[in-house]
Amino acid sequence: MRESTIMKIHYGTALAAVALVAVHILMRLTQGFADSLEYESVIANYKFVPYAIMLELILILLSVHGFNGLRVILLELKQGQIYEKAVSYGCLAAMIGLIAYGSRTIIMTNMGMV
Amino acid sequence: MTKDEHKAGIGGMANPTRYGIERVAYWLMRLTGLGLLAYFVAHIYETSNILRGQVGWDEFLALTQTTEGHIFLALVIAMCVFHTVNGVRVMLGHGGIGVGTPARPDYPYDPASQNYRHKIGIYSAILLAAIATMYGLAVMFGE
Repeated sequence: MRESTIMKIHYGTALAAVALVAVHILMRLTQGFADSLEYESVIANYKFVPYAIMLELILILLSVHGFNGLRVILLELKQGQIYEKAVSYGCLAAMIGLIAYGSRTIIMTNMGMV
Repeated sequence: MTKDEHKAGIGGMANPTRYGIERVAYWLMRLTGLGLLAYFVAHIYETSNILRGQVGWDEFLALTQTTEGHIFLALVIAMCVFHTVNGVRVMLGHGGIGVGTPARPDYPYDPASQNYRHKIGIYSAILLAAIATMYGLAVMFGE
């Protein structure tokens, strides 16, 4: 993929994540910070399908943005064909791994498998 | 270019004091990005404790709902707000907004892109991060 396309994805995921994370944080403040972290409250959040979808979107957006940012930082430090491929594929693998792990939590909690 | 011109090496590149607030913003952007990525990974692991049931969740929550945990979260708020506001500034700059118009390069060759608009953007990011951190501390310690 062209670097210009990757940067457009980087900026797009950033802007979308800012909007969704703002909603996520506001949800913590609607019922008091400590109360919103109570077990029943968190389970209720996960079982509310629109909120679970939003959490999944935040997970994907921030994973893509975060690991691409890490890739950019690592490529600034050092260059070379093998190094660049290792960094790019390493970040891609980490991104997929984190999305899979986070999705497991969201899906299992939403389906009541706790 | 002689070897002496490179003698500062990575240390020279990393030095934030020689090139103004733009270099400080460059480093803060990368450091906050790495910090936020580390927090995000930890947050995904933290929330996965919900699968251990109420006991597991309460046990893990007790580790984070401490004075140290709240101070750490305040630092995350600061990193998040700075990274967001400065990120918007960088995006606007990449889009050609606020970087000035082309002009004849005259001594002392100040780059048109490093102008007061972007300096205000950087200082605003730092100020907003400080305000958001104080608000976050008030919310967390106010309960």
